[in-house]
Amino acid sequence: MKAILTSIVLMISIQIGAQSTINGKVYNMKNTPISGANIYLEGTYDGSTTKADGSFSFTTTETGTQTLIVSYLSYETYTMAGDLTYMKDLTINLRDDVSTLDAVVLSAGTFSAGDNSKVNALKPLDVVTTASALGDFVGALQTLPGTTTVAEDGRLFVRGGDANETQIFIDGIRVFTPYTPTTNNAPTRGRYSPFLFDGITFSTGGYSAEFGQALSSVLLLNTIDEPDQEKTDVGIMSVGALLGNTQKWEKSSLSVNASYINLAPYNAIFTNRNDWIKPYETASGEAVLRKKTNSGLFKLYGAFDATNFELTQEDINLEEGAYFKLRNSNVYVNGSYKGKLNDTWTLFGGASYTHAVNNLNIIESTVKNTENSMHAKLKLKNRVSNRLKLYFGAEYFVTDFEEHFSDDNISNVAYGYDNNIAAVFAEADIFISKHLAFKPGVRGEYSEIFKDFTVAPRVSVAYKTSERGQVSLAYGNFYQNPSSNILKFNQDLEAQQTSHYIVNFQHNGDRRLFRAEAYYKTYDKLVKYDSDFTAFNSNFNSDGHGFARGIDFFWRDSKSIKNFDYWLSYSYLDTERNYRNYPTKSQPNFANTHNVSVVGKYWIDDWKSQVGFSYALASGRTYTNPNEPGFLNNKTKPFNNLSINWAYLISPQKILYASVNNVLGFRNINGYQYANTPDLNGNFNRRALRPALDQFFFVGFFWTISEDKTSNQLDNL
Amino acid sequence: MKNLIIIAILLVSSLAQSQTDYEKGMQKAFELWRNNPTEAENMFERIAKAEQDNWLPSYYAAQINVTNSFGIQDEKKLSIQLKKAQDLINDATAISKNNPEILVMQALLHTAWVAFDGATYGRKLSPKVAKLYAKAAQIAPKNPRVAYCKAEWDMGSARYFGQDTTPFCKDLERAIELFANFKPESPFHPKWGKERASQVLASCKK
Repeated sequence: MKAILTSIVLMISIQIGAQSTINGKVYNMKNTPISGANIYLEGTYDGSTTKADGSFSFTTTETGTQTLIVSYLSYETYTMAGDLTYMKDLTINLRDDVSTLDAVVLSAGTFSAGDNSKVNALKPLDVVTTASALGDFVGALQTLPGTTTVAEDGRLFVRGGDANETQIFIDGIRVFTPYTPTTNNAPTRGRYSPFLFDGITFSTGGYSAEFGQALSSVLLLNTIDEPDQEKTDVGIMSVGALLGNTQKWEKSSLSVNASYINLAPYNAIFTNRNDWIKPYETASGEAVLRKKTNSGLFKLYGAFDATNFELTQEDINLEEGAYFKLRNSNVYVNGSYKGKLNDTWTLFGGASYTHAVNNLNIIESTVKNTENSMHAKLKLKNRVSNRLKLYFGAEYFVTDFEEHFSDDNISNVAYGYDNNIAAVFAEADIFISKHLAFKPGVRGEYSEIFKDFTVAPRVSVAYKTSERGQVSLAYGNFYQNPSSNILKFNQDLEAQQTSHYIVNFQHNGDRRLFRAEAYYKTYDKLVKYDSDFTAFNSNFNSDGHGFARGIDFFWRDSKSIKNFDYWLSYSYLDTERNYRNYPTKSQPNFANTHNVSVVGKYWIDDWKSQVGFSYALASGRTYTNPNEPGFLNNKTKPFNNLSINWAYLISPQKILYASVNNVLGFRNINGYQYANTPDLNGNFNRRALRPALDQFFFVGFFWTISEDKTSNQLDNL
Repeated sequence: MKNLIIIAILLVSSLAQSQTDYEKGMQKAFELWRNNPTEAENMFERIAKAEQDNWLPSYYAAQINVTNSFGIQDEKKLSIQLKKAQDLINDATAISKNNPEILVMQALLHTAWVAFDGATYGRKLSPKVAKLYAKAAQIAPKNPRVAYCKAEWDMGSARYFGQDTTPFCKDLERAIELFANFKPESPFHPKWGKERASQVLASCKK
């Protein structure tokens, strides 16, 4: 009995004797004490919280080798494995977590919109609420600095580059034909519905090695990963109708939408500079299927649209006008998979296919072209640590273009080209600290058409100068094969090339953002030819060159005035190039010197309304006046546009929307067309190129029907 | 005398046996919560790390973060705190899927953003919150926290759209009844909310 008692007492005392104390102090890297940090032995209940002076102390009955963990918000978790006897009077310094919000961002050249990006210049909803954009994502981006207003075209012209120099990607996969066709005096729109995307990244230069075949800019659109709920959307507009539906299941979801636009009623009411035979009509449909797997997400996106119109346009050289008829159909399918392979490796794979057919009748001639394009990409990401991430991948582009041409003299000539490109890329994100980060990368491309291999290095650096400010530098080399209107006639050329040098300053305050970015770009190996238009008998070479330099400013403030959100953009651009059939180095007609954009939105709570405006001012663009010596020797007067919109929330699920484009009726002139031959006085007569419509009115009613009746149209504001 | 000692020792050891480390830890954490939420939060996190198949400690750690975030004015601070809360909710969800209590906590997390800045976050998050409550109510129609939090949210939305809030007072009354009949699965399962529900109901009747 006594023995048992003794042994029990002994056991207890051994336990007491085995209880050890762990203590020490926790600081950050600047030796400032951290209070409130959590300290514990992994897998046990033993631990403590640091006091105001960073000190901690706790006891444990564990013995031997243990793992001590120290964690605190916005610091990297500290781990120390060792024998408990050594865990006394510790001094622990926690490192800043570089993935937190206030860490430096590799942002030179990029504007992001989305929930995940740290610095948002534009929100996804801005696409639908910017007065001048009319629901077009391209239109919304044109309010950002670095873009040039080319009102009759509508595509993205970035920093002295022409529209072909910007490439668009959906879920990381290339879109070959992103724009709907229009007449030459009405702006085009992006083909894709803004409601399917929740992330937009617009880079005006210096972008990642992952993206190639773009000289000036890339626009990255990401489809929504998971829709919030099942719903049906109905829209009735002055120009057509749209219908959408989303279904959700346990692991997957499907969104479909269809729209039909017909401008016949609109043209009947409002006068139009075009003489329509068959007004503009387009039908389109899109679908996104998403399926979650155990460790990844599969997305399949498909879009179809068909457009047709027929008209006669005024032309100074043709008394009866220029006849133009177009039928276009476009199919785009894009599938991608993104998933985790294990804790550190992530895999992305995707492919897209485009089939685009254009049937054109231009005056007396008939043109039919067909483009089949494909893009496949495989990318791996290795997250070595919070501070080092590696990316590498390979991709392949296929384009098969064929065109048939007939007119009075020529019957059905066929020509075309295959433009296949293979590429590999590698890149790293290196965070030295929360204040300094690098992104070096390199891209190699092999062009089958030119049998040529190019290597493009890219690098960017970001340094945080204050709590809210940072400075970034970026440099990159970019290659792009010439566009189809050249390649279809000549394939013995070289890839066009640019180099970008960018300095960026950014101050990201509390819902206020200021950016200033200066850049210099050189162009090389641009295509030159010796005829008025590209044709079989043109002589082509790759001797063209040029430059662009300028500075972009952006300011957005959604804080200073309650319920009022506005942004200002200003871009200064100085560019000249000698390419195409230019006799000398000149400022191209799609590039002007000054662009100003102001967008504002005001929410009036009592009226349940959002009113908005957007104003654009673009200095004049160049044109050639044959009555004076020189090339591109004159400039148009400046372009002005003020648009307003009003969205009224009838009930949480019903919204009434109205907008007026160019409300003040500015008489804008995009350029001049001169007669081919002089009149009796030896003077070349001219005709002003004016937009098809000076003003545009839009009224729409949108209704969301969902099961729980609580979803609402606020979401779409 | 000897026997007494033995009995005493045996008693103590059996007592210690009857209360596991988990129970002691949880009890301690709840005690700390009253005066020192940071320490309580850390304690819950430690328990969560030690009990990898129990969703409750992560849930409570998340709740402390969400509750504390109401009233924070600095957006940066708020987003750090709510990011942490979101990680904890994710941990809890990984252990217990389609759990109405966790769905409510997720809805409250979104509500914290909406409360911070309705104009910016309301548009994006309102549908998500509504969806979460609808799902929770479908799984657990008799859970009083689901009923109460949903009613309070619906009242907020109705007030925003200038609609009548009185229909939701009935929902609150029903929630109070549900509280009276609610039996938590264990002493540590969620049972909060009755007091606040009564307060909201009282304001409703005025």
